[in-house]
Amino acid sequence: MHKEASEFEPCWDILRSAMTDIHKKNAGSLSFEQLYRASYKIVLRKKGGDLYERVKVFEEEWFRDHIMPRISELITNNLINVALIQAPGTSLHERRQMGEKFLRGVRDAWKDHNMSMNMIADILMYLDRAYTVETKQPSIFAATISLFRNHILRNTLSSSQEQFNHDFIVFDILNAVVLDLINMERDGDIIDRNLLKQITSMLEDLYETDDEIGDQRLYLRVFEPRYLQASRAFYRQECEKLVRESDAGSWLRHCRRRLNEEKDRCGTTVSLLTSEKIAKVVESELVMAKLAEFLAMEGSGLKVMIDNDRVEDLSILYELIARVDPSMTPLKGTLQSRIMELGLEIEKNLKNTDFSAPSNGGGADGEEAAETAEKSKAQPLTAAAQQTAAAIKWVDDVLFLKDKFDNLWTNCFREDLILQSAITKSFSDFINMFNRSSEYVSLFIDDNLKRGAKAKTDAEVDVVLDKAIVLLRYLTDRDMFERYYQKHLAKRLLRNGSDIDTEKDMVSRMKSEMGNAFTSKFEGMFKDMELSRDLSENYRDHIRQLGDVDTQKIDLGVHVLTLTTWPPEVMGRSTTQEDASKGQCNYPPNIKRLQDSFFKFYLKDRSGRVLTWVGSAGTADIRCTFPKVPGKETGPLSKERRYELNVSTYGMIILQLFNDLAEGESLSFEEIQAKTNIPPQDLQRNLASLSIAPKARVLLKEPASKSVKPSDRFSFNSGFVSKSIKIKAPTITSISKVEGDEERRETEKKNDQTRSHTIDAAIVRIMKARKQFGHTQLTTEVITQLANRFKPEISLIKKRIEDLLGRDYLERVEGEPNVYRYLA
Amino acid sequence: MAAHSSDTCNSKYVTLVSTEGFEYVVLREATLISPTIKSMLRGQFSEAKTGRCVFPEISGLVMEKIVEYFHYWYRNQDKTMVPDMEIPVDLCLELLVAADFLGLDKQT
Repeated sequence: MHKEASEFEPCWDILRSAMTDIHKKNAGSLSFEQLYRASYKIVLRKKGGDLYERVKVFEEEWFRDHIMPRISELITNNLINVALIQAPGTSLHERRQMGEKFLRGVRDAWKDHNMSMNMIADILMYLDRAYTVETKQPSIFAATISLFRNHILRNTLSSSQEQFNHDFIVFDILNAVVLDLINMERDGDIIDRNLLKQITSMLEDLYETDDEIGDQRLYLRVFEPRYLQASRAFYRQECEKLVRESDAGSWLRHCRRRLNEEKDRCGTTVSLLTSEKIAKVVESELVMAKLAEFLAMEGSGLKVMIDNDRVEDLSILYELIARVDPSMTPLKGTLQSRIMELGLEIEKNLKNTDFSAPSNGGGADGEEAAETAEKSKAQPLTAAAQQTAAAIKWVDDVLFLKDKFDNLWTNCFREDLILQSAITKSFSDFINMFNRSSEYVSLFIDDNLKRGAKAKTDAEVDVVLDKAIVLLRYLTDRDMFERYYQKHLAKRLLRNGSDIDTEKDMVSRMKSEMGNAFTSKFEGMFKDMELSRDLSENYRDHIRQLGDVDTQKIDLGVHVLTLTTWPPEVMGRSTTQEDASKGQCNYPPNIKRLQDSFFKFYLKDRSGRVLTWVGSAGTADIRCTFPKVPGKETGPLSKERRYELNVSTYGMIILQLFNDLAEGESLSFEEIQAKTNIPPQDLQRNLASLSIAPKARVLLKEPASKSVKPSDRFSFNSGFVSKSIKIKAPTITSISKVEGDEERRETEKKNDQTRSHTIDAAIVRIMKARKQFGHTQLTTEVITQLANRFKPEISLIKKRIEDLLGRDYLERVEGEPNVYRYLA
Repeated sequence: MAAHSSDTCNSKYVTLVSTEGFEYVVLREATLISPTIKSMLRGQFSEAKTGRCVFPEISGLVMEKIVEYFHYWYRNQDKTMVPDMEIPVDLCLELLVAADFLGLDKQT
């Protein structure tokens, strides 16, 4: 025992003197083996505990005697003043110099200590293996390295108590200096990043206790909270300054720069552990804090960015908001209201444009059609065309707006789904707020298809159709659209005014977008057209075979149209007031014969069908001969003139009347009406077309005013001259135009009727399946079922339910209010 | 051998010296299995500078066996099914002490 005890001191002496050498960086001549053997022996003699303690005491003394004095020297009163009291009076440069000098001192002390402890732990490795592990104490390295924390960082400044009446420790000063330097860098100064990085690494290597628990790093526990707090204060102040002095565009760029800077700073100066936390600080203090103020800024806010397509600004804004609020609420709201504003502006502009046009289409219903035509003659565009132009302008404007936002969406918003649905919703809202959208979209398609066949390439037409489909998607009242499209399509088909392939293409697009039910009528119309072509041809063959040589040979082309698939206007089934008086008009005998012959042919294969001739929808080519005008020896009037006149079926009937008329005789409006039984409105229009427009004035009107009145008289214009052989009589109603107010009310009324029936059907369908169903659920279900066609009004559904109750389709369930039962 | 070249730190070989002053030149990598020698050669002490490790308390007989073991380990470190190394019974105790000193008691 005595021998063992006596061996301890010599060994310890060796180690102690070696440790001094190590600290003094004189280890080069020391033998590792000898030192290791010394500690090995001590541990083998069971004196590990003593050795452990003595090493600690040695290091503590070393700090006290050699390190701390040097650190204390660096902590001048001036430094304390600046770092902790933030006393004014020192220049930035001075402050930085002083701070960095202090940090360098700490850094050097740490570096030395770290190296020495590594070497000492190496020679004491047997101590760790045989003693500290077994006694569950921190390793000798952990125990000695952490002495730096206790004896340097947590060293109370001796001078602070008397001077500032408060105890400061070195750590406080260290933090304050680091934060001050970082703020200097934020303000644009150059600082020694590497030095700061070494300091923060040191704090990462030191722990609150000697157990070295991961989340107890001094960096995380002490430095980081202060760093975040200081950054928060810095950015709060900066943000307030920006909102006062800057604009949204530079704020955005500033935010982006700051976020990048802070990210970089974590890598170069502080610690990557802080990246996310500091980003949060910048996000909340710089981005979020005054977000609303910046976005609302006059002249640079979100509104201006959108209006001026500031792609870069918006991209940054999106990136920033995506960081702080994935639901995009701040951006979404403004975006939507801006779309609404711009959308309503389109409507407003349209009204203004309409207003500036000389003839207001609003009042141009049937009675005044001729008048309107007359008035607008002086204008480059007819009233109807002007309104069509308005419709096209509206569609173009909406598409332009749509393009604009699509562009922003792709280029700035990274095709964000939330924003996409927000944009779509706003478009849908303003489009549906405009009560003529369905009609305008149909008119737009009409206009493009009518001209499409001639002036545009396939690719161009394709683009237009695509655009039309885009708009179609937004419409909620699709049944209204269907009605208008049916009307416009009917006119195009009957007048042969468009390319049938393009028409079919369009319809098939609608089909894939809206479903089969939506396009069934349109497809029926196409089918009727095809069948009719074959039918006409077969009929011609039939006549030829009969060898029936008619002196007044008439070539017949017939369109047999299914009543239900074609629009009622075309089929002459309109529900307007004069409906009752409307019967078949009187066809001239030669036409009548032809009709009968065709009907007979038609019924051969299809018995039991009824054909109704619709005079208002057809056209006729008439070969007219104008005799030589007596007394004229030169000029066109001196010869006999033959023209081919293309007129409407009614026009043909009217002209035939004049065939039987002697030279110089005339017919009054009433006489013509009585003889033909053409509805007065149509008659008026057709007479206007034949007697007013100069290029087809084959009838003379008395008096020669510019509108047709019931008192007028008409006679054959034997002096008619035209440069071309083929003449098309202008048809007043041929241009698809925006409806007048009355017409519009009519359409809406009809639409409401159809809707009532559709709702009835839906209710019955649902109730048949459910047998018994509550009112609210029923209403919801009806809306869901009809969503693809239109948005039914709740009041209307309620009315329909009541109606069905009255008609004994449904009954109320006793005792349970608002529950209905289906009656089979 | 080249143990005393100027570039000893990076030399492929180190010299181990026994009590009697016998020198064993061993592949540096092979000696690194001993944590003690590893620390010795990595630090800033004289051994690291000279590449010469003197063990006054390890006899030549034992040192020879240790060097044999270093090579044995180095050759076979990646193999399975390795034949046992031959250990003379009379050396066992001394070898155990030396192994403890060199930190060879842990599974590596």
